[in-house]
Amino acid sequence: MIRAAIDNNSGIIVVRELTKRYDERLVLDNVSVAIEKGKTTVIIGRSGCGKTVLMKHMIVLERPSSGEVYFKGQRIDHLSEKQLAEIRRQYGFCFQMSALFDSLTVYENIIFPIQQKQKITDWKAMDELVKGKLAMVGMDGFQQQYPASLSGGQKKRVALARAIALDPEVIMYDEPTTGLDPVRSDIINELILKLKHELHVTSIVVTHDMNSAYKIADRIIMFHNGKIIADGDAEHIRNHPNPTVQEFIHGKVSEAELAALRLGGTRYNTQYSPEDFK
Amino acid sequence: MIEELGDATLKRIEYLGRFARFINHGSRCSVLSLVQPRSYPLIWSQMNAIGVGSVPVIMITGAFVGMVLAIQAYDQLAGMGLEERLGVLINISVVKELGPVLAAVMLAGRVGGALTAELGTMNVTEQIAAIRSMGIDPVKYLVAPRVLACLLLTPLLIIYADLLGILGGYFVSVIQLGINSRAYWDFSAQAVELWDVVTGSLKGLFFGGAIAIIGCYKGFTCREGAQGVGEACTEAFVGSFISILVINFIYAVVTKSIFLTFWPIKSLL
Ligand SMILES: Nc1ncnc2c1ncn2[C@@H]1O[C@H](COP(=O)(O)OP(=O)(O)O)[C@@H](O)[C@H]1O
Ligand SMILES: [Mg+2]
Repeated sequence: MIRAAIDNNSGIIVVRELTKRYDERLVLDNVSVAIEKGKTTVIIGRSGCGKTVLMKHMIVLERPSSGEVYFKGQRIDHLSEKQLAEIRRQYGFCFQMSALFDSLTVYENIIFPIQQKQKITDWKAMDELVKGKLAMVGMDGFQQQYPASLSGGQKKRVALARAIALDPEVIMYDEPTTGLDPVRSDIINELILKLKHELHVTSIVVTHDMNSAYKIADRIIMFHNGKIIADGDAEHIRNHPNPTVQEFIHGKVSEAELAALRLGGTRYNTQYSPEDFK
Repeated sequence: MIEELGDATLKRIEYLGRFARFINHGSRCSVLSLVQPRSYPLIWSQMNAIGVGSVPVIMITGAFVGMVLAIQAYDQLAGMGLEERLGVLINISVVKELGPVLAAVMLAGRVGGALTAELGTMNVTEQIAAIRSMGIDPVKYLVAPRVLACLLLTPLLIIYADLLGILGGYFVSVIQLGINSRAYWDFSAQAVELWDVVTGSLKGLFFGGAIAIIGCYKGFTCREGAQGVGEACTEAFVGSFISILVINFIYAVVTKSIFLTFWPIKSLL
């Protein structure tokens, strides 16, 4: 099925003709996409193809070189940081490296977004809130620990608890399962599904873990060299005719790249030669 | 060639523009924080981190400056039979120039480096982006308390350096070199005025502000990876060191003209 042309109200987040350059390097090349409310959209693609950059544009952590970003029909890419504050509070962003604040405990990390907005008077309610959020990600009891003493998977879960502290409508996950073993990855997958069902949030997930993508996605978008090359449900992606898509989902290297590797080769120095150390 | 030069110039100007905007934004946030009691705990904890740990190094710096001045200047003055005025030379130098500048340089190394490393690490681990993603201004949360703490504490630390410099000078002059204690203090007291002490330590406001804002800016803009953080620290130190010297020069010109303006009416006050 081919979708009709998107307008500003086609989804909760709409990106139109977005182009991003860093110096001269083109990272996003005229990307248009509408994210549907209440669905989980997974963005896949090789490392360095611009997935994180695209996601950061959706919350305007990066500004487009050209193009527009809309949130609930309102254009947001040209707003000031101050005006964006209100918008951003409707998002929860889980960063790739968790980005928990090292100097704060788990408890303080979770109340951070609340504490910076208002003076907390009712600490009892705050304790309850933190307990609830942590319980949701299975981390209740870790309130007084510092992030340094948590494992990678635990950090990701605490980061998730922090992201939902303000009850966001949209949760963005940047490579939530990267660097975790299969069991821990699956815990995160289940969590993403659970949050979708219990909180009815819109989720956007960047990943290159196909197992995770198939499990959680309502819709999968494949990104390559700054462009969308495939967009559809899991079934559609599985049977996609484009060889780049097939190589990616099966984790294969293309013939052209293999040829380049052979051509490049590596020379080993078996003997010490003073020339090499000049 | 000319094109390259033009490009480099444009980059430079662009860079200065960004830095100027950062300073502007940083100072606004700092002023705001000063009037918002909610941000006091943040300022307080930065003051602890920045100030308390710096006291020993600052005191050591001050003491050695005073002592070495005494050793170096003694022979010159004694040759002219003016050794009793050693205190004038030591105390004026310490209070007006060496105390403030060397204390500031120590702080640029100790505090500026730590600020850049801390904020740089937060930057490359996306903690700063995380703050922004929550709709919170990272300049207000991270920069303002650090700038205020540095700004307020540097004058105090300079007074510590001055004090130890004076004691160090006294120790070598009177106890080691045997200059008459009473003459030493009398001549010093005549020469060193309150004006010198006050202007000398108030320089610390500018030094502290410059150290903090440069350190924070380098941290906020540092490139990825451990290497990026290292480079940012080096650049921050060099930058603050040079700005300390430049600020010191400008400050000397300005305070001197103020002093000369008010000097004729001083006796009336
Ligand atoms: N702030 C930046 N400055 C310069 N280049 C950047 C910046 N952020 C990302 N890039 C570049 O954009 C490209 C895409 O990055 P990213 O979106 O992080 O990739 P990924 O798809 O792995 O998440 C990378 O080549 C990266 O070097
Ligand atoms: Mg990424």
